[in-house]
Amino acid sequence: MKNKLMHLSNETMNVGFVKKVEALSGSSVRRCFQCGKCSAGCPMSAFMEHPPNRIVRLLQLGQGQRVLAGRSIWYCASCETCTTRCPNKVDLAGIMDALRKLSWDADGPSKESYVQLANRLFIENIRTYGRQYELRLGAAFNMKSGQFLKDLMLGPKLISKGKLKMFHSKNKNIGEIEAIFKRIEEMRKKGEAL
Amino acid sequence: MTPGKKRLNYSYYPGCSLHASGREYDISTRALFKALNVGLKEVPDWFCCGATPAHNVDELLSLSLCAKNLSLAEQVEGDLAVACAACFSRLKTTQHHLKEDEEKRKQVETAIAGPAALDKPVKHILEILAREFGLSKLEESVKKPLLGLKVASYYGCLLTRPPEVPELDDCEDPSIMEDILRALGAEPVKWSHRMECCGANFTLSRPGVVLKLSNAILESARLAGADCIMVACPLCHGNLDIRQKEIKDAYGAPDSTLFGNIFGSELQQGAPKDQRDLPVFYITQLAALAMGVPSGNLGFESVITDPKPLLREKQLL
Amino acid sequence: MSRIGVFVCHCGENISRTVDVEQVARAAGKISGVAYACDYKYMCSDPGQNLLKKAVSEHKLDGVVVAACSPRMHEKTFRKAASAAGLNPYLCDMANIREHCSWVHEDKKLATSKASDIVKLMVERVKKGKSLAPITVPVTKRALVIGGGIAGIQAALDIADAGHQVVLVEREPSIGGHMAQLSETFPTLDCSQCIMTPKMVDVANHPNITLHTFSEVEKVEGYIGNFQVTLKHKARSVNESKCTGCGICMTKCPKKKIPNEFDQGHGLRTAIYVPFPQAVPNTPVIDRENCTMFQSGKCGVCAKVCGPGAVDYQQEDRFSVEAVGAVVVATGFKLYSIDRKPEDSPIQGYGEFGYGAIPDVIDGMTFERLASASGPTGGKILRPSDGKEPKQVVFIQCVGSRAREKGISYCSKVCCMYTAKHTMLYHHKVHDGQAYVFFMDARTPGKGYDEFWRRAVEEEEAVYIRGMVSRLYQKGEKIVVMGSDIQVGVQVEIEADLVVLATAVQAQDGADQLAQKLGISYDKYNFYSEAHAKLKPVECATAGIYLAGACQGPKDIPDTVSQASAAAAKVMTLFSKDQLERDPVVAKVNEKYCVGCLACKKVCPYGAVEEKEIRDRQGNLVKVVAYVNPGVCGGCGTCQATCPSKSVELDGYTDEQIMAMIESL
Repeated sequence: MKNKLMHLSNETMNVGFVKKVEALSGSSVRRCFQCGKCSAGCPMSAFMEHPPNRIVRLLQLGQGQRVLAGRSIWYCASCETCTTRCPNKVDLAGIMDALRKLSWDADGPSKESYVQLANRLFIENIRTYGRQYELRLGAAFNMKSGQFLKDLMLGPKLISKGKLKMFHSKNKNIGEIEAIFKRIEEMRKKGEAL
Repeated sequence: MTPGKKRLNYSYYPGCSLHASGREYDISTRALFKALNVGLKEVPDWFCCGATPAHNVDELLSLSLCAKNLSLAEQVEGDLAVACAACFSRLKTTQHHLKEDEEKRKQVETAIAGPAALDKPVKHILEILAREFGLSKLEESVKKPLLGLKVASYYGCLLTRPPEVPELDDCEDPSIMEDILRALGAEPVKWSHRMECCGANFTLSRPGVVLKLSNAILESARLAGADCIMVACPLCHGNLDIRQKEIKDAYGAPDSTLFGNIFGSELQQGAPKDQRDLPVFYITQLAALAMGVPSGNLGFESVITDPKPLLREKQLL
Repeated sequence: MSRIGVFVCHCGENISRTVDVEQVARAAGKISGVAYACDYKYMCSDPGQNLLKKAVSEHKLDGVVVAACSPRMHEKTFRKAASAAGLNPYLCDMANIREHCSWVHEDKKLATSKASDIVKLMVERVKKGKSLAPITVPVTKRALVIGGGIAGIQAALDIADAGHQVVLVEREPSIGGHMAQLSETFPTLDCSQCIMTPKMVDVANHPNITLHTFSEVEKVEGYIGNFQVTLKHKARSVNESKCTGCGICMTKCPKKKIPNEFDQGHGLRTAIYVPFPQAVPNTPVIDRENCTMFQSGKCGVCAKVCGPGAVDYQQEDRFSVEAVGAVVVATGFKLYSIDRKPEDSPIQGYGEFGYGAIPDVIDGMTFERLASASGPTGGKILRPSDGKEPKQVVFIQCVGSRAREKGISYCSKVCCMYTAKHTMLYHHKVHDGQAYVFFMDARTPGKGYDEFWRRAVEEEEAVYIRGMVSRLYQKGEKIVVMGSDIQVGVQVEIEADLVVLATAVQAQDGADQLAQKLGISYDKYNFYSEAHAKLKPVECATAGIYLAGACQGPKDIPDTVSQASAAAAKVMTLFSKDQLERDPVVAKVNEKYCVGCLACKKVCPYGAVEEKEIRDRQGNLVKVVAYVNPGVCGGCGTCQATCPSKSVELDGYTDEQIMAMIESL
C-alpha cells in the first residue's frame, strides 16, 4: 500500500473525509507545509510506517484510506510533542484522535488490533465499573489478544505489592455513566454529534 | 486564597491509578498534605477520566466523562487538586476545549444532562506545593532535608504539553519540579530526557514500545549521575519502575550472543555499562519524607525498584 | 447647466464580465447635466485617453467622470488627459466600478445597477466641483538619512554625489551596520569588509555629508520639502574634534573583559572602545555602564593617558535641529536571538533548542564573526564552549521564520544563501569537517544564487536534509540534533559539535517608535510599509520619506543597495525642482465661523492644524481660529467631520458636493 501508485482525481481524493478530520480535531490540515518537525520529535515515529508528517500529507491529498489502512495512528502515544512544536499550529495530536475515531467507527481496516483492543477494554471497564479495574483490564487483554503469558511474572508481583486489587466494586452512581454513554449514542444516531 | 492567612483546602480527584497501581502516590499525597496542614477532601463517587484511551477514539466521550467529574467536584469546596498527570491533563483539556468550542460544550452538556463546571480551578499538586503553599514555606517546613540526594525530575508529556492547556510551566524548559526539589534540600540533576515520552499506556498493548522509550529515559538519568527519578504521574511511574528490570534485561546487559561476544567486546571498550537501579519516587513521597513523615506511611513497600538501600545510604531512613 | 462627460471602461473583461457597461453608459446619458456618455474597452489606453480628449472639445464638456478602476490606479492618467484637453484637472473624477463593484459582486444585474449608482454619485460631485489650482511648497534641498549601514551609506553617497547636502545619522558609535560584521558575501564570496570599508571612508570624507554617529532622531516636524528634525547626540564622553584616534586610551583601559557586541558577544573589548578597527569615525566612546569611572568615580586612566585631552567625563547628551527636505529611512534589521520567551515578541521562543542555554548553539551572525579574519578567533572556526575545532556542524534553517504560529510568518530571505555560504566557508577552513543543513526549501531566486547553492551541495559536499529539527540537547561534549528526513521518511540523529541557527530577520529595535516620530506606517512585524508594493516600493505613504534596505523587510546586500540607490534617485527627483506641486485636496477653515475650539487640531493625523490669531487693525486680538497648513494637510477630511460649527471644508469634498451625492440616490 505504501508505495502503490497514487492516482489523483476528484474521485480518488476523499475531501469529505478530510473535512471530517478537520471538524473533529478543530485543526487545519492544509496549514501544514511539510517541514517534518513533528516527525523529528515523535517518540513513536520509528514504529510507524507513515511518519506523522506523511499522515498529514496523505490527508492533504485526500488519501484517508491509506492512512487508516496503516497502523501509524494506533502507534501515536498522544504525547503532544508534535502539537507543541508545530510552527503552524497544526494540532497533529488532535488529528490523530480524529483519525482513530473515524477508524474506530468504521470498525477499523487497521492492521493494529492490540491498541484498539486495549482501548475497547478500557472504555468497557468505565461503562461497567465507573472506574478502571486494572487487573481485569490486563487479564481480559491477555485473553482476548491470545497472549496468555504476557507479563505473567509481573501480575503476582504487583498483586503482592498491593498494586493490583483482586476485587473491585462498582461506583454507586454507575447508572449516571450508563446514561452518558446512552445519550452520546443517541446524539450520534440523530446526527447531533460526530 | 493567600497562603499563610487561612488554611488551604482542596477538593481531591485521585483517579483510578491512585487507587490501584499507583496507590503509594495516593497514600503519600494524603500524608504530605496532612503534614503540611493542607485540607484534602476526596470528591465522592468520581468516575474514571477516560485517560488516553477515551480521547484516542472518542473525544466526546472523553470530554463528557471529565465534565461529569468536574460537576461532581462542585460538591466539595476548594480548588480541585489532582495528582495524576493524565487526569490533570484530561480535566484541564476539557475545560480549555469547552470554553473555546461552544458547540462541543452544548453536546457535552446534553451528554451529562447538566452544566459543565468550567470555572472550577483544577490544580496539579506541583503547583499547589510550589505556588499556593509556596516554595519558601515549603522550605521552612522541611524537617529532614534530602541532602545529597541527586534527583532526575521527570516531567513526561502531559504536565506541560500542549502549553495552552496545563498552564503549569514553560512547555520546553520547566523548573517547577526542580524548584520543589531544591526547597526540599535535594539536588536536581541537569539531564536531557526529562520531557521525553515513556510510552505511556502502551504498557498494556505494546510493552515493547515502553521498554525502548523508558530505557532511553533511564539511561539519560544515569548518565547525568542521578541517584533516582522523581515523577508526578502514575503511568510514568509504572513504566519506569515496574518495568525497570525488564528494560535492563532487554537493553542493559551486554550482547551475549555469539556475534556480541566476537564483536561486542571491541565495540564496548571503556567503562562497563552503567546498570544502577534507579528508584522512582513520586514527588509526594520525597516531599513527605522531607517533612518528617515516617517512611512506613509512604507506600515504599509497593514500589518495585526498592528505594530503601538508596534512602539508607543517604541516611534518610 | 453642467456639461459632464461620462466614460465607462470595460477594463478588458474585468468590469464588463459582471457589469453591463453599455447599460451603465446609457443610464449615465440620461442623468441631468450629462452631455455625453460612452463606453470603451480600455479607457487608460492611448486611444481611450484620446477619446476623452476629443469628447471634451467636441462636446464642450465642463466636467468628466471616468467610470473605471480605483483612483489610486489611474486618477492621474485621466486628469492629465482632461488637462491636455483644456479642462481643470480637478474637474475630472473617477467612479470606481471595478474594486468597489465588479470585483466584489457576482450578480450582473445588481452589479450593473450599483455601478450606475456609483456613476450618478460622481456626476453630482463633479457638477458641484470647482476648478482648483495645485499647491506649491518650497523644497529644502538637503536630505536626512537615518541609519549608517550599507543602505544608508549607499543612499547618502548617491545623494551627496548628485551635489546635495546629506545628514547621515547612526545610533551606534560607528557606521557600517551588519554588513561590516559579515565575513564573505554571497554569491561571489568577496570579503565584506574589503568592499564595505572604502564606502565608509568615502562617507567620512565626502564634502557633502555630515555624519552624526552615536546619535538618534528625537523629533520630526514639518512636511515634504520642509522637515525640521531634532537629533539627539548621545554623550560619547570623548570630544570628537580633539580625538586623534591614536587608541592609547583603549590599550590602557583596565576594564578589558566586556563582551564585544560587534563580535556577537564572543570577542572582548574595553570600556572605552571603538566597535571594530575599521570603525568610522575612529573615535572611541565610553560605555558608561561598564566604565569604572562612571560607576565608582575612581579610575580616570583614559583621561590621563589621552594626549590631546579628548576624554570628557562631563559630556552630556546634546540636541541639534536639522532642516531637510527629504528623509531616507535605512534603519536595517536585527536577528532574532534564541532566548527564553522574549517579551513583546511575535516569536514564542525556542525552548526545544535550549533557549540559547547550550553554548555551542549559535546564530548565523556569530558564525560570520567566527569565519571573519577580523573576528574573535582570527577567522578560525572554533566552537565557543571549549575552543575546539568542530568536525560536525549542523545548520538549521527557518528558526523563527516561516512559522506563523510559533514565530513569524514571513521568509527571512537571506538565510538559504548565507547558510550555503557558511557550509562553503566551513569546508574551506575545516577540510575534514562535515556540514549538515536541515532545510525545508532552498530559496535561491537571485542572479547566480541557485548555482551557488548547488555548488555548496555538489562541490563543497554539504549534506542537505529536507526536514526540520524537533529538539537539541547537550550530551557530554556533543549536541544531539533530533531531526527528520522527510524524503526518506525517517528520523535523523546527529551528534554535532556545533549547531548554527538561521534565526529570523526582524525589524530593528525601536522601529515602531521611529515610525511614529516620522508619521510613517509599519506592519505588524514593525517593518516599514511602502506606498505601493509594486509601483512605489521605496516611497512611504507620507510624502518626502523614502525607504532603503531591510527596515522595509528582509533583504540581501544587492537588493539593499539597489533600493538605497532608488531611494536616492527619488530624493534627487524631489530636489530637481525648487517648488513642489501638490494636489489641492486640502482642508480650508472658514475663519468667520470658526469658534476656535480646535477640535480639528486634536483629530488631525498629519499635525496640519495650527492656531491662528485674528487681530483687528489696532492689533488687538479678536479671536483664535484654526488654520490648516496646506503643505502638511493630507486631505483626509477628519477635521471636516469633527468640526462642530461646520467651518472647515475639504476642497473637492465640500459639504455641498457630498450632500448632492447623497441626494442623488
